[in-house]
Amino acid sequence: MKNVSNGHAVTRRQAIKRMGALGAGAAAVTAGAPRVFAQPKAPITLSFWTFDNPQQRPWIHKRVNQYMEKNPHVKVDFQWFTFADLGKKVSVGYATGTAPDGFVTGDWLMPTWLARNLIAPLDVKLLGYSSLDAFRKDHADAFVAGAIKDGQAYGYPLWFYGFCNYLNTKQFKEVGLDPVKDQPKTWTELGEVAKRLTIKQGNKFTRQGFKFAMHAAQWTMIQFNPIVSQVGGQWFDTSGRCTINNEAGVKAMTIRASLARQYGAEDPADSIATFPLPQMDWLKERCAMFSCHPIPPAAIKSQNPVMESEGYYLPVQMAGVTPDKRYTTCYGFNFVVNARAPKAKQEALHDMYRFVMSDLVDCWQATAPFTLARKSGWTDDPRVKSFPHVQEIIKAKDNGVFFPRTPIWTELADAMHRAVQKVMLNNADIKTALDEAAAEVDRATAEFKKT
Amino acid sequence: MRRRAAVSAALAWAGLLPLAALTFLFVLPIIWMATTSFQAGEKMFQLTTEWIPSAWHPENYPNALSRSAFPRFFLNSAIVSASVMLGNLIFCTLAGYGLAKYRFRGDRLLLLVILSTLMLPLEVTLVPTFLVIHALGWVDSYQGLAGPLLIDAFGVFLMRQFILKIPSDYVEAARIDGAGELRILWSIVIPQCRAGLAVLALFSFRDSWDQFLWPLVVVSRDEFRTYPLGLVRFGDDYGNPPTEQMAIAVLATIPVFLLFLVLQRALRKGFDLSALKG
Amino acid sequence: MISYRWRIRLWGLAFVAPTIVFFLVFKYGPMLWAIGLSFTTYDMMKPPRWVGLENYASIVRDPIFRAALLNTLVYIAGSTVLITLVGLGLALAINTRGRGRRACMSGMFLTNIMPILAVCLVWRFLFHPHGLVNQLLRPLGFGRIDWLTDSTLAMPAIILVTVWRFAPYFMVVFLAGLLTIPTEYYEAAEIDGANVLRRFRHLTLPLLMPVTFFVVVVAALLSARIFLMPFIITGGGPGNATRVLSMLIYETGFSYMKMGRAAAISVVLFVIVMVLTVIQMKLFTRGEEDYA
Repeated sequence: MKNVSNGHAVTRRQAIKRMGALGAGAAAVTAGAPRVFAQPKAPITLSFWTFDNPQQRPWIHKRVNQYMEKNPHVKVDFQWFTFADLGKKVSVGYATGTAPDGFVTGDWLMPTWLARNLIAPLDVKLLGYSSLDAFRKDHADAFVAGAIKDGQAYGYPLWFYGFCNYLNTKQFKEVGLDPVKDQPKTWTELGEVAKRLTIKQGNKFTRQGFKFAMHAAQWTMIQFNPIVSQVGGQWFDTSGRCTINNEAGVKAMTIRASLARQYGAEDPADSIATFPLPQMDWLKERCAMFSCHPIPPAAIKSQNPVMESEGYYLPVQMAGVTPDKRYTTCYGFNFVVNARAPKAKQEALHDMYRFVMSDLVDCWQATAPFTLARKSGWTDDPRVKSFPHVQEIIKAKDNGVFFPRTPIWTELADAMHRAVQKVMLNNADIKTALDEAAAEVDRATAEFKKT
Repeated sequence: MRRRAAVSAALAWAGLLPLAALTFLFVLPIIWMATTSFQAGEKMFQLTTEWIPSAWHPENYPNALSRSAFPRFFLNSAIVSASVMLGNLIFCTLAGYGLAKYRFRGDRLLLLVILSTLMLPLEVTLVPTFLVIHALGWVDSYQGLAGPLLIDAFGVFLMRQFILKIPSDYVEAARIDGAGELRILWSIVIPQCRAGLAVLALFSFRDSWDQFLWPLVVVSRDEFRTYPLGLVRFGDDYGNPPTEQMAIAVLATIPVFLLFLVLQRALRKGFDLSALKG
Repeated sequence: MISYRWRIRLWGLAFVAPTIVFFLVFKYGPMLWAIGLSFTTYDMMKPPRWVGLENYASIVRDPIFRAALLNTLVYIAGSTVLITLVGLGLALAINTRGRGRRACMSGMFLTNIMPILAVCLVWRFLFHPHGLVNQLLRPLGFGRIDWLTDSTLAMPAIILVTVWRFAPYFMVVFLAGLLTIPTEYYEAAEIDGANVLRRFRHLTLPLLMPVTFFVVVVAALLSARIFLMPFIITGGGPGNATRVLSMLIYETGFSYMKMGRAAAISVVLFVIVMVLTVIQMKLFTRGEEDYA
């Protein structure tokens, strides 16, 4: 039995190396590359889990089905769960020995899996790269920061994107502003512009100038993280202590609170944002600007068909403390491999992942405007270039910064979420709220060290 | 005499008004849910509610059902909940009867021990319960979904309280007449606690119908998913009008409501019987 | 031959036996596992490691645990009292003679059959600063009320939704109890000259004791376990204003993967609820011998 599987693996690796040499240096392997050997292969079953998303999940499923057609000896048990539940299912799976062989994970959770040795390092050669360096160069910097550790890659990216500032151009023009020329480049400008766009009646905002998302911890982190980076702040010092309550941290939180406190352009308690639609306030034109990931036209159409058909929206780079620091957080989703899966299955997964991501233009057509971490193989295609506003979206991805890399990411996000709630909803003192958050994070670090 | 009857009749009508107003307030959110289920997707979160939709969209219902395998999910939920209801009706009644009518030392302690199963939250017992189900080979199956819910301590407690109220003389008299224990249970006790049985049937069905966390853990395949898992999936899907989520929610109320209507009669019968006896 | 008394006792145990066996497998086994887990550190990926009382010491020092503990006690007290009073009040109101009573009962009971997810979504929307609840309150002179984002109002809002959801359910339970009181008792009391209030105090209330005991205990147990409502409506916020122990357990166990710690918090909750139930038992079942 053992000999058969070893022989099997060697044959496949040789075949892939051959195919890799055929591809002229570029990572992309076309879907139609013929199999050059025809030995009977042992049947193999893979279990694979992913999260649900109206465009992304059906596309992955389609590609996996295509893979099974081309590789009849491989059977993939494809299951999907809601975004929030996937992590739980995988955890319970690991605890009970029923975890999938391969799954998709948010890249901010990679340190969580890695700290417990649950995901396997990837063999980039099986993915079509000659070396780790080639792999590194072909992907956005922020992705690399999240997926490569100690000289090994642990995640093979699917979608990866940054946030843009989405402007409602109709509302801009209403108050005499030019959405392109007057787009806010600094936080100060953002406050001023937002103030001009705000309409209030008594204590009720008819229109808020700008809104931050506050409906979930992850979004709070996404939007707060770059501000911390821009002011030169740090989440942890070298000894592992949380330093978000230092001077830079206070400055970052002050900026965060300024839209509401200083400029009166935001009402944090007044939001109709929900989990599936965090941009509801913006979609319903209750705010003029909103920081968001690339919004598919279908999402806009479902809640504001007029905005979609007349196209009065424009993504621009988010504001920065200075005009050269207009970057946001970047995050994405990676294919990973269960470290406890048998070797043969791990290699089969590499093959499947590589196939799924071998036609990026097809991916773009199905899931635009969600961008991909990989730099090559799609951005020059006319079908990509013709998508409205695509350059801004790609720019946000290439310039973004990654989250703090920590195995207690969830605890950190929850602590920050509470701090922001205290500051924005209960009018708490910024330093006090940050002190409490830092203490919570330090406690979580201490707890984690015990395991 | 006639004046008293007239006054009490007037009071009865006058009493209805505040009660009806209160009922209306209670029911307002449900009416909101029902109206919204017929609205166009983009009208979901308008802050000034349109109680009568300006444009009806009944297609929300078939559209919503087709998003996931909802007919199958509802069928699964129905099978599981009916089994759980049956299990509770049988075993909770037996246990409640045992606790109520057979006084032995420590029976109240036993009640406390049984109630203790409700005191540890589901979240911590999720993983070990899953391990038990896994060992039995019941993952992704109806047995796995219904198994841990088959007997609920609430039900045991409820039946105990209702059976307590039945005077023991009936039971003693039947025993003296030579009736067997099971016969006594079936012919004497059960008819007298119809109201309790109706309440038990209703809440055991509804508790199982609403279950979310346990099905999430024990089921991974669509063929065994229950409707709450499908409902939650809507939350990840901005492509579908959120009003369709309300449509599914409305559909989900129907089986429990039908059960309630059916059992209402049993409740009323219980009243008539106790009025007629002795 | 077995004596009569022993035969009766055996039958009693036989009736309860299937339930006990079932509980041993599906409840007590997992519960003991969870309690044992509270003395370990366990992240679900590596085997549990014994740490003794460290989890307990750690949660006592944690300000968030203390806040959640207080919130839970407030929530249990508020919900239980209100659910019992409102449930009983509604049942008494429905139990009067007259038309439309059954329709009102069915109408109010509808709050119970709405799926819990829909309940949370709808109420989160109704409590919006410019939402329906405030719209209804405005003519009464109230200004803008930030129900879910004001740390002093968030918990009352959740309690309100809880009462809305569960009071009609217990109303039906109380009604079932009221219906089993034979009308002849009332007629006899009326002939004896007792007025409505006296009939209530000396006839209805004592005869309702078993049902009231059930309602109070079950309402308290339900409140202690409540999870989805605060989780979806406020997410525990603002800050920690509505974070209850069951939410903390869920987060600690599944989000932070600290199952041992979560188990320790659960044991604390277990002890609280056990103490509460024992007190309720002592209060309500003093007169139970009269029924046997």
